[in-house]
Amino acid sequence: MVQFNKTHPGIVVNDQLGSNGDEMVQKLQAVIGSDNYPDIAYVYGSDVPNVSQSSKVVDISKDIKATGFDWNSLYPAGRETATVGTKVVGFPAVIDNLAVVYNTKLFKAAGVAPPKASWTWSDFRAIAKKLTNASKDVIGTGFPISGSEDTTWRLWPMIWQQGGEVLDKSNKKALFAGPQGVKALQLLSDMALKDKSLYPDQTPDTQKMYGLFDSGKMAMIVTGPWQLPDIQDHHVPYGVQVLPAYGTSHETISGPDVYMVFNHSDARRKAAVTFLAWLHQPAQDLQWDIGSGNLPLSSKTAALPGIAQFDKKYVGIDLFVKNLSNAHHIRPPVTGYTQVSVAVGKAIATSLLGRGSPKDTLAQAAKAADKALS
Amino acid sequence: MAAVARRQVRPPAWRRALPENLTAWSFVLPASVLVLGLGFFPVIWSFLLSTKSSNGFGPEHGVGLANYRELAHDAEWLAAVKRSLEFTALYVPVTVLLGLGLALLLNQKIRFIGFYRTCFFVPFVASAAATGVIFLYVLDPQYGIVDNVIAWMGLSRQQFLDDPDQALFLLAPIYTWTAVGFDILIYLAALQDVPQDQHEAARIDGAGRFAVFWHVILPAVRPITVLAVVWETINALQFFDIAWATKRGGPIDATTVIIVYGYKLGFVDGEQGLGAAVACVLFVAIVLLVVMQVGYARWRKLDVV
Repeated sequence: MVQFNKTHPGIVVNDQLGSNGDEMVQKLQAVIGSDNYPDIAYVYGSDVPNVSQSSKVVDISKDIKATGFDWNSLYPAGRETATVGTKVVGFPAVIDNLAVVYNTKLFKAAGVAPPKASWTWSDFRAIAKKLTNASKDVIGTGFPISGSEDTTWRLWPMIWQQGGEVLDKSNKKALFAGPQGVKALQLLSDMALKDKSLYPDQTPDTQKMYGLFDSGKMAMIVTGPWQLPDIQDHHVPYGVQVLPAYGTSHETISGPDVYMVFNHSDARRKAAVTFLAWLHQPAQDLQWDIGSGNLPLSSKTAALPGIAQFDKKYVGIDLFVKNLSNAHHIRPPVTGYTQVSVAVGKAIATSLLGRGSPKDTLAQAAKAADKALS
Repeated sequence: MAAVARRQVRPPAWRRALPENLTAWSFVLPASVLVLGLGFFPVIWSFLLSTKSSNGFGPEHGVGLANYRELAHDAEWLAAVKRSLEFTALYVPVTVLLGLGLALLLNQKIRFIGFYRTCFFVPFVASAAATGVIFLYVLDPQYGIVDNVIAWMGLSRQQFLDDPDQALFLLAPIYTWTAVGFDILIYLAALQDVPQDQHEAARIDGAGRFAVFWHVILPAVRPITVLAVVWETINALQFFDIAWATKRGGPIDATTVIIVYGYKLGFVDGEQGLGAAVACVLFVAIVLLVVMQVGYARWRKLDVV
């Protein structure tokens, strides 16, 4: 940022810490209501359609063209999330995806072979059960059940892998409560309640689950590349593998977040786009990725020779990069998605705490979702 | 001549009162502006918002009283109201009685009494977020001190705030811990107003400690008790901060009381009109409660308002 301000006289960028993703939206609601909103804000992908309803969000595709930035070099998942209808509302901020990170030391100690790329969800369950050791306070895996989007989005790839869908084609009707959804949630709830090999984490930021993994008390976590720097800080010896499959599909979910641009005036909007275009130049992107452990945002970045340094610094990150090709669906880009997410998050929490069967809780969530989408 | 001159310089009554009124107004104006700006205006604004359909980003449109009709048929809203009433029933009697009991203990002439009083008042001024985080640690099922003590005593470990059946019941005593300082304070003030001669007279008449408490102290603090009950009932109905700081209304919905539900509707689900309707219904309920308190106090000729 200091570098940008130095090289771009006439534009001054100030940074301001908003808050973490889920609460960012609440903050934005407050500041947009009072006209005291920022030029750029980091918004979770699932919130982008909602926030885009604001009159302060305008199409910036012409501004991007004017900067000469090669928009199409960005990975498609990022571009799609930053586009609502025909409007480009920002730049992709982070592209991630889910894979399994496992503690190699715990695997070795239990005499379990590291997971293969062809593993299935029943392998996942068996391994988690085997690695759970109550006398040593070690548990197989965890699952966030705070009920936020971090709870919900983890169910989607399990449904997609079986050929199921979240919503129907018109985005008006929930399909997640079908047999695929029930089967997926049943597996998780059996692991939590019968095997006791899955720790349901109620903390708002999932800090318990990650904390257990960081302290060597959890064998596997389903997570994204953002967690690797933290794991490295705690010196946990780890490996990374793609998500288990139902059958042969190891489909994952990629949930890109977006730097949304808010319109104050033509000049300020153009300045904001200039800044973001600069930030997304391959050289900048790479520097950012090496510092933070985020995945490259464009194929151009991934082709830079410096990427070797990135792969070396974050062991296993190359699997996350490759895993992007296992992301085929995107989350339903509809404004009602927020309520769908809340309803499904509650269904998952209820099931994993043993307060309702997966079938009933999902059916109830589907009812709430249908109402929100109608 | 002198008398006439005096009459001439003497201004009319309203003008004589003016500087006095101005002085008075200059004292109350800042507070009035604050009360109107921070209290009255948001209420009006909330009511206007409750007649709209808005998610905070998109265009809003008026829907009349549809949000209120929706609430009337909303099972989750009714569940939240039930939780708030349960919470109130758990919290208010304990807090008021404990406040009185501790005030009696702290109304002694012993050494370091100022220090003891301060100790009980500190939780009241601590921030709710900090209190919430402290109790999350203390009651943590994995490494919390309470569970470790329980396990050490050979009893089975508890899930505490992670258990949907326990969470609300635990939040009530936690809230009591933070709030009881206020009750102690007002009871202490009231106890110090109980005339010493009544004490002595009762003693001379042969009354024991309990009889003195029952016949002298309790009647003397009755106005304060009415105030404390109403005050704590309002607090209990508006309970939000610790519930949000600890569990965000969870596990599942176990601690989603009225305000948590309204907040979730408005800021998580993006239904700001509905969330504002929740706030307005609660506002009306509390106003009714206060009116009832004033009525009761006037009827019993209690000197609280």
